[in-house]
Amino acid sequence: MDALASLATGFSVILTPENLYFCLLGSLIGTLVGVLPGVGPLAAMALLLPITFTLTPVAGMVMLASIFYGAMFGGSTTSVLLNIPGEAASVVTCIDGHQMARQGRAGAALGIAAIGSFIAGTLGVVAMTFFAPAISAVAIRFGPPENFALMVLGLVCTLYMISGSPVKGALMIALGFLGAAIGIDVVNGQERFTFGSINLTGGLDLLAVVIGLFGVTEILANVEQHARGSLIAERIRNLWPTFADWRASWRPIVRGSGLGFILGLVPGGGPVTASFMSYAVEKRLADAPERFGKGAIEGVAGPESANNAAVAGSMIPILSLGIPGNPVTALLVGALIIHGIQPGPLFMTQRPDLFWGIVASMYVGSVFLLVLNLPLVGIWAQLLRVPYHILFPIVLLLCVVGTYSANKNVFDLWIMLGFGVAGHVLRKLEYDLAPFVIAFVLAPLMEQSLRQSLVMSPDGAMILGQRPVTALLLAASAFLVGLMFRRKRERVPQ
Amino acid sequence: MFERALNAFWIVLGAAAAAYAWTLGIVGPSGPESGLFPFIAALIILGAGMVLTMMPSEGATAFRFARGAALSRVLGVVGGLALMAVALPYLGFAVAGAITMLILLRAVERVSWTGSLVLAVVSVVVVSWLFGHVLGMALPRGPWGW
Repeated sequence: MDALASLATGFSVILTPENLYFCLLGSLIGTLVGVLPGVGPLAAMALLLPITFTLTPVAGMVMLASIFYGAMFGGSTTSVLLNIPGEAASVVTCIDGHQMARQGRAGAALGIAAIGSFIAGTLGVVAMTFFAPAISAVAIRFGPPENFALMVLGLVCTLYMISGSPVKGALMIALGFLGAAIGIDVVNGQERFTFGSINLTGGLDLLAVVIGLFGVTEILANVEQHARGSLIAERIRNLWPTFADWRASWRPIVRGSGLGFILGLVPGGGPVTASFMSYAVEKRLADAPERFGKGAIEGVAGPESANNAAVAGSMIPILSLGIPGNPVTALLVGALIIHGIQPGPLFMTQRPDLFWGIVASMYVGSVFLLVLNLPLVGIWAQLLRVPYHILFPIVLLLCVVGTYSANKNVFDLWIMLGFGVAGHVLRKLEYDLAPFVIAFVLAPLMEQSLRQSLVMSPDGAMILGQRPVTALLLAASAFLVGLMFRRKRERVPQ
Repeated sequence: MFERALNAFWIVLGAAAAAYAWTLGIVGPSGPESGLFPFIAALIILGAGMVLTMMPSEGATAFRFARGAALSRVLGVVGGLALMAVALPYLGFAVAGAITMLILLRAVERVSWTGSLVLAVVSVVVVSWLFGHVLGMALPRGPWGW
């Protein structure tokens, strides 16, 4: 009941003209970046982060969060009509969604994607309403050693969930730590890795790094491939699913909601993994799995529901623990820190207006997105006619504005360019960029926790084994590392 | 070949970063020093670089450089961004942005001169208006005041 009373407070925060406006604006921008291929939610949020400096923290965070879940809604439009995913979590929607469009059922595909997203998003936020305070209540008792161990577990989970090599993932995490160490050590004022450069004393700017790795890298990959898609340009009609569509879709929607929410909770999981897992589950459970890939509506309903539920799930670790599970939530943590707010177990008690305002905004945002995505889907589809060769220079211009405007420093543009080129090369070599960003954001907190743990113990690093929760979390991390090696060994003989 | 060179680079980077972190101090009389955390990170990089060097190279991860037109487009984007970074403090956002757009549209995407010019001017005006006026961001100005 406490959660419901707090949620009512959240609604009183969000239901003001200013906050509603920014929730709607974020939903619109999110849908737009979801629809437009080559512009992901992360790059969009990074570009717009400087704008939030002039807003109240509630309005700023509500806008950024609504871009995140808005992109999940919008991503399906491009997948269905163009066979190019608007963002990564909609890759799997291309398979059956585009086939449905080719069979003249684009309306049904887009309709079930939007309705499934709405149902899953709402169910996810309901679960979040009750889960987040419970997790916060436990985590509030954690000291520096437990926090450190929790972050280690989060990073190990990220390694476990990434598709590529865990060694490369570990290397990216360590690079993220090293990148975050550049600048002045806040504990004793000592310069680290600055090599006398005044531009590096403040450290690498998070926005320059994120826009470089996820904005510029994406553009470089797209211009290199010169990707072109075939737009299904027919008039979109019959958005409301038929009875048969409902009968086929309701179970995938429910399963996708549950699966997505749980995978969202797990660091390294999130919307992308959730959509792929949901597709695999639906195909395995289907009476006629051979229909998948040929326009099965379950192949749209399940993954689209899963990626939206995962958004709500992935908000829980950052709001209740301060630990991001994917690059987008890492940026949200970065945004909160820039606003002078430390996300974590105390966040809910120290800033209940912001915490519950964000939760309430997700209910309101789901309604906005349903309205934006069902009746207005025709308008979004028209946007797909904008050729990429016109779109990408504009996006590049926005990358420059977004990076420069944070610190008004041209040096950040070189950082952005450097990370863009490095990200492009590393992605070609199958290095996952997500662990780098998560580690980059977590590193200052992790270092602080480690140093505090070592200072508070007369036995040095032994403290990590002496406290039961810390030992348990580290043992779980070690167990996951063991599983990773076993999985790797099992793959080798094949 | 490129992958091997990159793995060697990780080893060198890890070793150099570990050596530098050591000079910052690892653990002192008052507890952990500034170098401890970067030292651990550097050791992970060094170790991962060594493991990757020893692992057999997988064909799927063989690095393929972009060639021909694809390489030109990638270099065009990188060159355009570098030009923008160099020109921004001297020419301001509007002029540097328009020139960069023109280069990207002409050199990378082979859009006609007229189309490139119109698109460059319109995009820069819209972005300047949106971010500079509506959202109140201070975009760099050239010697002519805009």
